[in-house]
This record gives sequence, structure tokens and C-alpha cells, in this order.
Amino acid sequence: MVNDSGQLYTMEGIAAGLVMLLTAYLILSTTSIYTQGDTHIPDMQLEQLGSDVLAMMDTPDREGGKNQLVEFINENNGGGFKDKFLEYCNAKTSGDLDTLHMSASVTYRKEDRIEEHQLVGPDETWTGRESAVRVTRWVQLDQHQQLSPRQPYGQRAQAVLVEVLLWRA
Amino acid sequence: MVALIAVASMVPGLLAGLQSSGIDYDAVAYRTGVILVEDPGWPVDPPWETYDENHKDEIERIGLAVSRDAPNILLSTKIEKFFNTSFFDPEDYRSKAIFGDIPYSYNITLRSLDAEGTYNYATGDDTPPGYGYIRRVVKIKEPSVAVIDGSFKDQYTTDTEDTSTSRNFTVRFDFNRLITQSIDPAYRIDPRAEPVNITITDFGEFLNGTASYATLESVTFRRGSSSIPFPYDESDTDYYTLRIDNNPVLYSPEPGVGVSSSISLVLKPPATSLFNLGPTSILDVEFKFEDEPPATNITGIHYYDYNPTNVTRPDLKPAVLEVAIW
Amino acid sequence: MACMNEEGQWIVLMGLLVAVGLFFLALIINQSALVGQTTAEGVLEFPKNDIRDLREAIFDYVDKYGNVDAAGNPSAKAVRDDIIAISLDRKNAVVDFKVKDRIYISGQWAYPVEIHYNNGVTEYDETVYRY
Repeated sequence: MVNDSGQLYTMEGIAAGLVMLLTAYLILSTTSIYTQGDTHIPDMQLEQLGSDVLAMMDTPDREGGKNQLVEFINENNGGGFKDKFLEYCNAKTSGDLDTLHMSASVTYRKEDRIEEHQLVGPDETWTGRESAVRVTRWVQLDQHQQLSPRQPYGQRAQAVLVEVLLWRA
Repeated sequence: MVALIAVASMVPGLLAGLQSSGIDYDAVAYRTGVILVEDPGWPVDPPWETYDENHKDEIERIGLAVSRDAPNILLSTKIEKFFNTSFFDPEDYRSKAIFGDIPYSYNITLRSLDAEGTYNYATGDDTPPGYGYIRRVVKIKEPSVAVIDGSFKDQYTTDTEDTSTSRNFTVRFDFNRLITQSIDPAYRIDPRAEPVNITITDFGEFLNGTASYATLESVTFRRGSSSIPFPYDESDTDYYTLRIDNNPVLYSPEPGVGVSSSISLVLKPPATSLFNLGPTSILDVEFKFEDEPPATNITGIHYYDYNPTNVTRPDLKPAVLEVAIW
Repeated sequence: MACMNEEGQWIVLMGLLVAVGLFFLALIINQSALVGQTTAEGVLEFPKNDIRDLREAIFDYVDKYGNVDAAGNPSAKAVRDDIIAISLDRKNAVVDFKVKDRIYISGQWAYPVEIHYNNGVTEYDETVYRY
């Protein structure tokens, strides 16, 4: 007469063994976890660089000297602003120049409305580019004394915000 | 059993060391960039760049900024000291600028953007194909100069009735005028933190008619009415340099040599710290000329202050700094 | 039924509880590996350049207008409103500043300026003396 209790015992043993093998396989196949790579590094580098360039353009070379940034905004000189900004931005300590592009706008307040005036338009690398970084700088405009109106900010003394979009192409 | 399986599949999450796909070199480069560009370093007073080899251990951080309140404005004396590889070795750069447990390799370069390329420094190894990187744009402040040339002749000449044989010409540093918070640190003159340069040119204009030279007897330093002993001589170039008539030779504070065209005295912060000067002190630098009969009628007090005719402050020079870490 | 076999039921119960506890703990720790903030994100999030720039803009205002009462001086009020309105609209930051009467500190006159900045993530308050 065959004893059933032994068979059950064997079956349990085999099942347990199979389960243990399965879990061991699962453990070994999932041993490492990689964190995602940092995709924000280029953004951080560009943001710091852009802020530096705006700050240096806003610092006169001598006490009471010409403030380049204020002058460009007062005269609405988009071309000059772009050239100077890219000159500082793309300079490296050795080798070729870097390939950064920019566009800029100035935000000002007119009575109750906040308006935006485009100072430098984007160039042909605007489409299909890497993500752009926005850097800003406050500019104080004095009361405009000349007869010809200062477009589009108006004559009064005001604080405006220069916003520059910076990207690599 | 199901719970056991689920737990077992999550065990790797407990045991596996968290491994990022690479060490974040860009973060270290960014931090080093901030220390160099936005931090004046520690100690600040007296500034770390005045420390000599014996006190190098007391330098905790090497930063290049002029002051905490003027980020991105670097001081030229700090730059020159930082890139002096005979003073700092790679271990110093790692422990005082880069920090961190791992010995990173580094490459730090600075280049000014002016036409002459006045500043072009590099330290560290050549960069491999991949590295962490940051680039900063800065402006460099250079020490000021007081140039006393022929245009001051009328102002600083005494009348010829004076019969004594010695003539004194004083340059006065009035710290009440110099150390004022209303001037931005990027343009401020602080003799305790940066060198000051007194240059007397066109000396021929100050000579009496027949004399071809006047003998510079001594250069003395006074605080108020009391004279301060100056223990250095011409070999202590870290403290001061005195040049006469464009000769390459350096002179002691008591040269006793004839001057016919120019005198140039550069007083550096380690010497100025000897004088215990505070924000209300007045330091006089006295040039004494002794001849029989007197060869020059120079006299008067020249103020080293913010007046552009008295002192020339060089323009700030834009520059770019790159830090690479791997 | 005959009396149930109650032996070992405590052990089984405890075993079940332990299993559930382990399951829960492992779940949490496993998921925590994917949470966190990279260094670059942390740098981008902190508005260092914004705050510095705002301080400079406020210092320019103080240099020009001192602590003149904004209600009485329309030019000063306009510049002040510019800064507050544009900050809110373009920088998503609530900004406020107050200039107090001049005081005499260590030999010089200075204006105490209180600055408040809040961009939703970072709040910054400072009292600084502008000489």
C-alpha cells in the first residue's frame, strides 16, 4: 500500500525548492539601481554664465563711468547689445569660441499694464535648438531729458527688467 | 509565500549601494567656481595673499573676489598669488579651493579679454575627453597709482628763500577719506588690502636750475607726528619696492642716491599691516632730499585719495575663468 | 467539529504580521532610491542671482530717492511700483522693501533698508545699511 503522506512531503519540498530558486534568480537579476543622469547640468551652467555676463555689462569699468547695459537699453540698441553680450558669452580661455545664441526682450510697466518690448529677435537657430535658459537683470532708467521720445518706455524714470534667452546651437 | 516573493524582489533595494551613473563633477566645478569668483577667501584681514610660506597653513580658503559685497570683481594681487605654482602645490589647491574627499584632478584657467591679453594664467593638468565644467565671466581690479608729474610743478615747489639744506615731500594716506562705505568695493582704494604705488616722474622739472640731480636721503613713514620704524630693506620685495631713475636695481628706504628723472615706490599690504592702521588713521610717506646747496625745491603734501588728478585708478578689465574637474 | 487545533496559531499570526511589516518597509526603502534632487536642480532652484540683482535694484532706488515718502513723490512711487509689479508678473516673486530714516553708524550716515522677497519656494528677509 502506497503511503500518501510521503508523496505530499516530497511535493512540498519540490515546490519550496522551486520557489527559492525563483526568488534567488529575481534577487540576482535586479541588484543595481541607477539614478537618472542629471539632465539639468547644461541649464545650470548657462544660467550662471548668462547672469554673470549681464552683471558685468551692468558694471562700469570706472567709478561714474559708462554703464553699457543702461546705455543699450536707453538707446534701444538691440544690435549693439547682442554683439557685446555674445562677445562676453562665447569667450573661452583657449581654443575656439563657444556657440551660444541669444534673444532679448525688455519688460516695462505702463500705468496698470505690464508690456514687453523685443530688443533682440531670435536668429535662424531658434527652431530645433536645445532648451533655452532665461536670465534677467534690473535696469534703472532715468528721466529722459531729450526732446525725442524714448520708445517705447516713455519719459519717466522707471525700473525695467531685461530678459535674455540663451541657448546653445 | 507571495509576501516572501515580493519582499525578496525588493531586497536589492535595501542592499544595493545607491550608484549614480557617474560622479557629479559639474557640481564640484560649480562650487569651485563660486569659491574663486564670489568669495574673497579666508582669512580676509590681513588678506590671505599676504601670507608667506611659514603661514600658508593658516589659509583656509583661496578666493579671488575683492570683497564679499562685490562678486565677480577679482583682485589682481589675489590672482597672481593663486596662480603662483611655486607657492601652492596641487594638494593646496585641492584642500583650499576644490574641497571634497576624493582627490579630483583639476584645470583652472583665466584669460583677460582686453587686446593685450594681460592676464593669461593656467594651473592643473590637461583635460581628458570628459570632465565637469563651469565658465564664469569676471572683471579684474588692479591697484591704483599716484602719478606726480611735471604738471604738479607749481603746486609742489617752495619759494627759493628757504636756506635749509633738506627738502621734504609728503604723500598722505588719509584713511578717513579712503575707507568710506559709500564707494563700491570695486572702485575703493584700501592700502591694507592692495598695493599702492607712488610714482614721481619728470623729476627734472622739480630740480633747481643748475643741479642735475637731487639726493634722495630717505623715505620715512609717519603716523600722525610719530615716525614708524621700517625694518625692511631692498631684499624684502614682498613688502615694498623702491626704484630710482628707471634703474633695474632696488633700493633700501635710505638710498642716499641722486635722482634725476623718476622715483617709484610700491607699498604692499604686508608692510601696511605693520603700521596698525585703522579707518581713521593718517599715514604719511615722506621723501627727504638732502643736498648742499639744495638741488630741488620740492615740498608740499600730495593726498592719495579719490580725486582723479591725484590718483589714477585703472579701468576694470573683463576676463573669463574656466574650471574643469575630473 | 472536534476541538480545533489551537497550537501554533500565535506563531502563525506573528509570522503573518512580520511578513506584512517587511513587505511594507521594503516597499518604502525600494522606492526611496528614486526620490531626490540632483545638485544642478538645487542650484537652479535657489534664486541667488535674482536676490542679488534685486538688492542692487533697491540700492539704486535708495541712492536716488533716499527714504522720501513714496506717497508724496510720484516719481519714487512709480519706480517702486515698477519693481513690485514686474517682480510679481515676470519673476513670480512677491517683493517689498522699506527705507527708514538715516542713522549714524561708525562715522557715516546710512539708510536702513528692509528687503522682503518670496518666490514661493525661497523666502528672503534682510535689513541692510546703505551708505
